[in-house]
Amino acid sequence: MNGITNELIKREINYLTREDDGFPERLKRIPSSPKGIYYMGELPDENVPSVAIIGARNCSGYGRQMAREFALEIAGAGIQVISGMAMGVDGIAQNAALSAGGRSFAVLGGGVDICYPAENAKLYERLLDNGAVISEYAPGTPTIGRNFASRNRIISGLSDAVLVIEARQRSGTLITVGFALDQGKDVYALPGRVNDSLSLGCNELIKDGAYPLIRPYDFVCEFMDRYAMLRSEDGNEPHDDEKRLLKKTVNDVKATDIRRFDINAGKKQGGRSEGLRFLSTKERLIISVLDHRPKTVSEIFYDLSDRDDISITELLGLLTDMTVKHKIDCIDGMNYCIRS
Amino acid sequence: MYSSVCSGALNGMSAYIADVEVDTTRGLPGFDMVGKLSGEVKEARERVRVALKNCDMDVPPLKITVNISPADISKSGTAFDLPIAVGIMVSTGRIPADRCKDMMLIGELGLMGDIRAVSGVLPMVIKARDSGIGSCMVPQDNAMEAAYVNGIRIIAVRTLSDAVAALLNEEILNELVFRRDGSAVKECREEKRYDYADMIGQEACIRAATVAAAGFHHMLIFGPPGAGKTMIAKRLPSIMQPLNEAESLEVSTIYSISGLLDKERPYITQRPFLSPHHTATASSLAGGGAYSRPGIMSLSHKGILFMDEFPEFDRECIEVLREPLEDKRIQISRARSTLTYPADFMLVAASNPCPCGHYPDRNLCNCSDRMIARYRSRISAPIKDRIDIIVSASRVEADRLIGDSEDKRSKKRRSTSSAELAVKVSRALNIQRERFRGMEFAYNSEIPSGSIEKYCRLGKTETEYMKNVYDAMELTARSYHKILKVARTIADIDEKEVIGIEHLGEAISYRGDI
Repeated sequence: MNGITNELIKREINYLTREDDGFPERLKRIPSSPKGIYYMGELPDENVPSVAIIGARNCSGYGRQMAREFALEIAGAGIQVISGMAMGVDGIAQNAALSAGGRSFAVLGGGVDICYPAENAKLYERLLDNGAVISEYAPGTPTIGRNFASRNRIISGLSDAVLVIEARQRSGTLITVGFALDQGKDVYALPGRVNDSLSLGCNELIKDGAYPLIRPYDFVCEFMDRYAMLRSEDGNEPHDDEKRLLKKTVNDVKATDIRRFDINAGKKQGGRSEGLRFLSTKERLIISVLDHRPKTVSEIFYDLSDRDDISITELLGLLTDMTVKHKIDCIDGMNYCIRS
Repeated sequence: MYSSVCSGALNGMSAYIADVEVDTTRGLPGFDMVGKLSGEVKEARERVRVALKNCDMDVPPLKITVNISPADISKSGTAFDLPIAVGIMVSTGRIPADRCKDMMLIGELGLMGDIRAVSGVLPMVIKARDSGIGSCMVPQDNAMEAAYVNGIRIIAVRTLSDAVAALLNEEILNELVFRRDGSAVKECREEKRYDYADMIGQEACIRAATVAAAGFHHMLIFGPPGAGKTMIAKRLPSIMQPLNEAESLEVSTIYSISGLLDKERPYITQRPFLSPHHTATASSLAGGGAYSRPGIMSLSHKGILFMDEFPEFDRECIEVLREPLEDKRIQISRARSTLTYPADFMLVAASNPCPCGHYPDRNLCNCSDRMIARYRSRISAPIKDRIDIIVSASRVEADRLIGDSEDKRSKKRRSTSSAELAVKVSRALNIQRERFRGMEFAYNSEIPSGSIEKYCRLGKTETEYMKNVYDAMELTARSYHKILKVARTIADIDEKEVIGIEHLGEAISYRGDI
């Protein structure tokens, strides 16, 4: 036993049982609470709100962009971001949260000493510095598929609300949502177009009563109100930290939010937004037919054909030029979509 | 008595004169054949004996020895049947020896004495002419093929009796002389062609195909199932320049050796288009086998080798492309011999973008990034390096395909016709021909990296532009060179001496970052 403990200390892996001090209060309250958790880094602060941002591994450009924007706003407001460090939405949201200077926590489906998926090795390192990786499985446990479902209950368990960015029907993401509802957590979902298979899960959730996510700032305000209400219902006076946070949210976040949405602000004043000011007429036309879904040049050409007499060679040149100037995104060097 | 008649044989792409020597002596009756002969050559013994008998020319009970020289080159095929039969007739004194002088005999015998077509007649007849032989007796079915060789008299025979009669009687022989019919050549040129005008949408791919054809660039088309990747590739020969006389002869020779020439139209004037199935083996692509034959890569010489479902091919098949893509020929080394076949083709590969085929449309594709990377990694880097143009094709939407005739879009529904595109291609190729006169390469795609500076010179603005792109897109030196070569071709299509930014911009869009 001593040997194992030594090994844990050497690798800076901590272990807490449910009875130990410091075991997350939130986890104690959920059904089938884990007996103990292993973690590397620092556990989430009990007195700081936390939300889970989850979604599809193979997300679309839309999902990628929205995961980033919401995570930036949320982490910027000082809220902790919980997720599963998976490819796609999970990893993107956690990376963005850390970039915004926030803290983020990953719950893994295997031992905390194993970085899964290996592609997220950089994120794994960053999480150790500004958050933690957490698991109920002993170090060295390989990551296997069936562990994911049960680790999902910890993701929702550690959070005060769950945000779903993109989810297909019958996906792992919806399993987490199921746990969240069982645990009495609020569920927010990002609406999408009704014929997008990646938004089907989210749209269904909204139909079933989930809060729709429209603007990051609105979410933060709404969530903080809810959070304060829930805490007082529980008989907890807002902690000092929280009071500070609430204030910060209302004052500071508003400023960043306005900056982020200056495209809309600009439109209201009848002016042109910063980003689109330097586009030529043709470039603006091209952007108008682009989408989050990458299109081939032939598709773009066709979409333009009833608006402009642009030749295919001119279009190819323009697309290259706009890619170089980062006005649009180019996938695989041959498909184009709007910048996310 | 001894006799010697002349025949032809093949060694890889080239033919040589083989002398069929026959000796008949009294002794224990028998029929022996020597001269490093393969199974089908030795079987001539039975065919010849029975055919002669059935033509009322019984083989006398003598000891017959046949030697085919040079005796140290292994021989295959059935073209020796006729010369052996005639040789026996000469050595038994039934045909005067001088009647067979100055004549090459080629043909397979049936048991009833009918003379059947053989493969490789074209190179053999060329060899005969070049060696100063005045006439050549060939099977009727090969006569058209043989008649394309000028400067040699072709005698077309249907049966062994005809052949013997012709050798005995000058008049009959003159009647059998085959004369080349002018209309036949014309007919060969008018084969059914696919046209780009039949296509709806895919303008970007058609443009890319035009550029590819104009500079003989290899091309890779990505797209979901049903996007029309095959249609694009199939129409490529329709915009390429027709084969010139020399190329045509070279291609026809390959087809002649493989026995693939049509007997009615035995001359290849159109660029070949071959699309092997992805279950093909490496040796079917490369050629070879116990008695080597040209493979699919050689059959697409001067034309298109279209490989659909490219990543599904065996790794070995993809790697075997390396040598021909580099050297424009394929060398086949076997224990017994080493042969070289020409294989100067334009590779057009098509692939799904991911295992399910719908990436990057994440609404339809749920392949993980790892799966996609693994799928694409089957196209190895050295092969990718040789492919200058990469484009993606998209599925054509229903409203475009069905399209209301009143819709103003319908005017734009149809693509440009192949004839119009062929003019552009031709223009660019003529410029290249002038530019590379006396060089060992003929197309922009073949410019060696050392000479890129010389032929793809950029002005000041263009250099600045490329510097930006180089950094912004994190290009490699190799992809930079590819872009310059493709830009050169695009400028040639525009008949511009100097490469402009518009040419570079388009070339960059074909770089395909995979």
